[in-house]
Amino acid sequence: MKKELLKIEDLHVSAENKEILKGINLKINKGEIHVIMGPNGSGKTTTANAILNNPAYIKQSGKIMFESEDITNLSTDEIARKGIFMSFQLPEEIPGVSVTNFLKYAKNKITGEPVKIFAFKEELKKYMEELNMNSKNMERSLNVGFSGGEKKKNEILQMLVLNPKLAILDETDSGLDVDAIKTVSKGIQMFKNENNAVLIITHNTKILNSLKVDYVHVLVDGKIIKTGSQELAEEIEENGYSQYK
Amino acid sequence: MSKTKVDEINRNIYDIKNKDEYEFKIKKGLTPEIIKEISKQKNDPEWMAEFRLKALEVYNKLELPTWGPDLSELNMDEIATYVRPKSKLNNSWEDVPEDIKNTFDKLGIPEAEKTSLAGVGAQYDSEVVYHSMKEELIKQGVIYTDMETAVREYPELVKKHFMKCVPVSDHKFVALHGAVWSGGSFVYVPKGVKVDIPLQSYFRLNSPESGQFEHTLIIVDEGASLHFIEGCSAPKYNKVNLHAGCVELYVKENAYLRYSTIENWSKNMLNLNTKKAIVEKNAKMEWVSGSFGSKISMLYPMSILNGEGAKTEFTGISFAGKGQNLDNGFKVVHNSPNTSSVVNAKSISKNGGKCTYRSLVRINENAKNSKALVSCESLMLDDISISDTIPVNDIQTDEVEFSHEAKIGKISDKTIFYLMSRGLSEEDAKAMIVRGFAYPISKELPVEYAVEMNNLINLELEGAIG
Amino acid sequence: MEKIILNETPVRTAKNFNINNIKLENIEIPKNIKTFNNVQVKVEGTTNIVEEAETNINTLTYGVGNKLQNIEPNKSLKITIKSKKNQEILIDFNLDKDLIDNIEINVEEGTNAILIIKYKSENDIKTFHSGIIKTILQKNSKINLVIVNLINIKSNNFLSIENELKANSILKYTIIDFGGKNSITNYYSNLQEQEAENELNTIYLGKDNQLFDLNYIGELRGEKSNMNIEVQGALKDNAKKHFKGTIDFKKGCKKSKGNEDEFCMLLSDTAKSLALPMLLCSEEDVEGNHSSATGKAGEKELFYIMSRGFDKKEAMKLLVRAKFNKIIENIQNEELKNEILEEIDKRLD
Repeated sequence: MKKELLKIEDLHVSAENKEILKGINLKINKGEIHVIMGPNGSGKTTTANAILNNPAYIKQSGKIMFESEDITNLSTDEIARKGIFMSFQLPEEIPGVSVTNFLKYAKNKITGEPVKIFAFKEELKKYMEELNMNSKNMERSLNVGFSGGEKKKNEILQMLVLNPKLAILDETDSGLDVDAIKTVSKGIQMFKNENNAVLIITHNTKILNSLKVDYVHVLVDGKIIKTGSQELAEEIEENGYSQYK
Repeated sequence: MSKTKVDEINRNIYDIKNKDEYEFKIKKGLTPEIIKEISKQKNDPEWMAEFRLKALEVYNKLELPTWGPDLSELNMDEIATYVRPKSKLNNSWEDVPEDIKNTFDKLGIPEAEKTSLAGVGAQYDSEVVYHSMKEELIKQGVIYTDMETAVREYPELVKKHFMKCVPVSDHKFVALHGAVWSGGSFVYVPKGVKVDIPLQSYFRLNSPESGQFEHTLIIVDEGASLHFIEGCSAPKYNKVNLHAGCVELYVKENAYLRYSTIENWSKNMLNLNTKKAIVEKNAKMEWVSGSFGSKISMLYPMSILNGEGAKTEFTGISFAGKGQNLDNGFKVVHNSPNTSSVVNAKSISKNGGKCTYRSLVRINENAKNSKALVSCESLMLDDISISDTIPVNDIQTDEVEFSHEAKIGKISDKTIFYLMSRGLSEEDAKAMIVRGFAYPISKELPVEYAVEMNNLINLELEGAIG
Repeated sequence: MEKIILNETPVRTAKNFNINNIKLENIEIPKNIKTFNNVQVKVEGTTNIVEEAETNINTLTYGVGNKLQNIEPNKSLKITIKSKKNQEILIDFNLDKDLIDNIEINVEEGTNAILIIKYKSENDIKTFHSGIIKTILQKNSKINLVIVNLINIKSNNFLSIENELKANSILKYTIIDFGGKNSITNYYSNLQEQEAENELNTIYLGKDNQLFDLNYIGELRGEKSNMNIEVQGALKDNAKKHFKGTIDFKKGCKKSKGNEDEFCMLLSDTAKSLALPMLLCSEEDVEGNHSSATGKAGEKELFYIMSRGFDKKEAMKLLVRAKFNKIIENIQNEELKNEILEEIDKRLD
């Protein structure tokens, strides 16, 4: 039996007094890459936010288990410390806090151990070279004045540094350019191993081209209505979602 | 990381109360007899004794301000205006009495002197108990001494500048200051001398129901430069204490002065302080200010840009917690062509505290091609606090570039969620955002003071958030 | 002849900043004046009502000043909006003599309308104008109100405006402030209930020795309410402007927004601009912003326009019109819009 990482059971979630998720079931094992696809407004971003327990999204019923532990009502930081990471479509800007200091601080919080400065800087340098990032950005305030591409790279960098067990990549923006797609793909390739898993939330199939995806789930109107292999993504690319409405 | 820091600091450092032991404490209240007694105790030269009495007359004529915080709890009959500690002026910490030295030790002053300062002055209640400066600077002709010594030893220099920049008629508390001033620092930097390492004066008010009225007079002569740091604190008592200091700064042609303040008076202090700089041709005056303490603060440093091409910058933060009303800001008057001013003011209100940013930017008719850029930002940490922005912009000619921006808001839930998704607790996330908010000010301070400021922020946030 | 102190700000600041109020000397306050008849009223449709009737609006929260508000009016109008067809009402005062007008406007629940009130001098007889306009917007109502001041620059102009906004009402106010030796306006909006919205757009244009004193106050009380003030102005000769803007976030106005933008173009080196854009805040979850800028017309833009064959005066006119355009576009009455544009040209000549 494979090692189960995440299990969502019959999850109902509402936001701004509207029911958005109407009973989601999902299981992710270690070593797998999952994709959730769906048209605008189907509940993709809500799914990611619900897993991280964003207080703006209210869970009506259902359960989220992570490594056999109920995390449904844990606070966001506790969930993060359990090993779940989410990359944001629109990362927040934090004036006055440099990228380096932020990463050091977050790493310390996630691992609960003091960060060894030298090793940390080496690690950072390695990732940044791979992601083709400008080292000058490291002393700038987190995300402040970053271009879309720089923000994207910064999210992927954070994923690599914090090294979670499950990485959720919210890539719902259809306007992703070629470079951003490359960044995300490369980041996943660098990150992925047998002991972790990735959940990509998107409706852009190009992002999947260079990845070996295990499962594709189609989310329509708050429910997963079909699950398949990578071919399902290709089929949707060709025919769209209309057949599922 | 920050948590451990939070544990390290302790308000107790600032709250150490020494026994109210003094050599001489004047009767409470304000009469010509009391003023004469202060003159006698201080051995004033005749001109100063007369000056004090005249200032008292002005004080009696002037009204309390008709705007700003309510000062009705201030009763001058209850305040002792002069308290002489049982110590003479020393130039070695060894000679400072044990309990007083201990206080300054805990505030880290002698340590900072060794590592990062070119000179230190320390005032305890009404008198300066310690003053010292590095040998090299003495050789270059720099003068750094307590104000009383300056009155005695440099009478011409003092007479020419003392309360000329800030006349006693400015407002009621300046007049009061003129009548009862005691202590403070005098700095003279000769032409062309660059003082690379900061000088610092630290003001400590220990005696309850008393006032501190130190006078700081700094003259940076042509082409010279200086960074001066002022620190203040006091233990908390149940009745109000009063601080009505006066800072006069003369920045001559092509000179540079930075004046940094970390103010952490106890929360029973009325801080009614006056600071003004006259900036000459192509000179530059920079203010860096952190205001954390006091029950009421009314503090509006002012730059008067008299010379062509004069420049000024103000970078300041106020942090008001429970029971605090911090009415702070900045004033600048552009009197000559090609002058410029840049203001970056921030405030944080929490736990029922009130911050007001009050300001004036005046560009006079002959200040052609001048520039003034103002930005204020206020952060509300809860719904029981208050944050007001009251800026006056007086533009009297067309060849100017003037802009003003202000913002009030809270920490966004989205930002908190983002940081929490990276493993930070809600408290840590908020503290990080607040420290980032204050960073433009802390980065302008020498590193020890930046650390002190962050500690004060953590201290203020402790228990308030969550 | 009297010396009067008017237009006190809601919060005081230092006296020597000279902005807490305005002191005017040699003001002649008229007494016992005869009924004012030189007014035209046009009402579109038959549902909305404009009637001559005594109003009950002289006790204001702020107002320009009691001395003026206590003068017996010689024109009182009551306007009741009952239609939902967004019909226009035009009230056109021709100031051939002193005018003290009180106008009370009730916008009934769920209705909407456009109301234009114009004060104009057809000649250069010195007159005195003091008006009170009070508007109450009931739930879900909407009114687009345009006040046009084209009084000559010998006359004095005083105007007290007060608005009460109930839940989900929308008030769009546009003030075209060109006339008057002294033009003193007090504007106060009370956004009492949730999701009320008030937009106030003003343009002023000063020449000779004209003085404008604008004291605009918005108090936000209801949740999710929204107040937006934009003031665009230009001053030439020795004209002066005092802008005092206050957005006050009162307890309870959670999730509200307030915005204040003030821009002043100085067209001479003796024109003067004094501003006090205040933000007062006693509530946490709000967003308050203000920005202001003062300076002369951009050299680059002027040069560009002049390189296309316009002389300096024409180029300046073009720039001022461009600045004002966004606000003038709020006026849907084409005839009035053209009249304002012509007036801008005339006053800039």
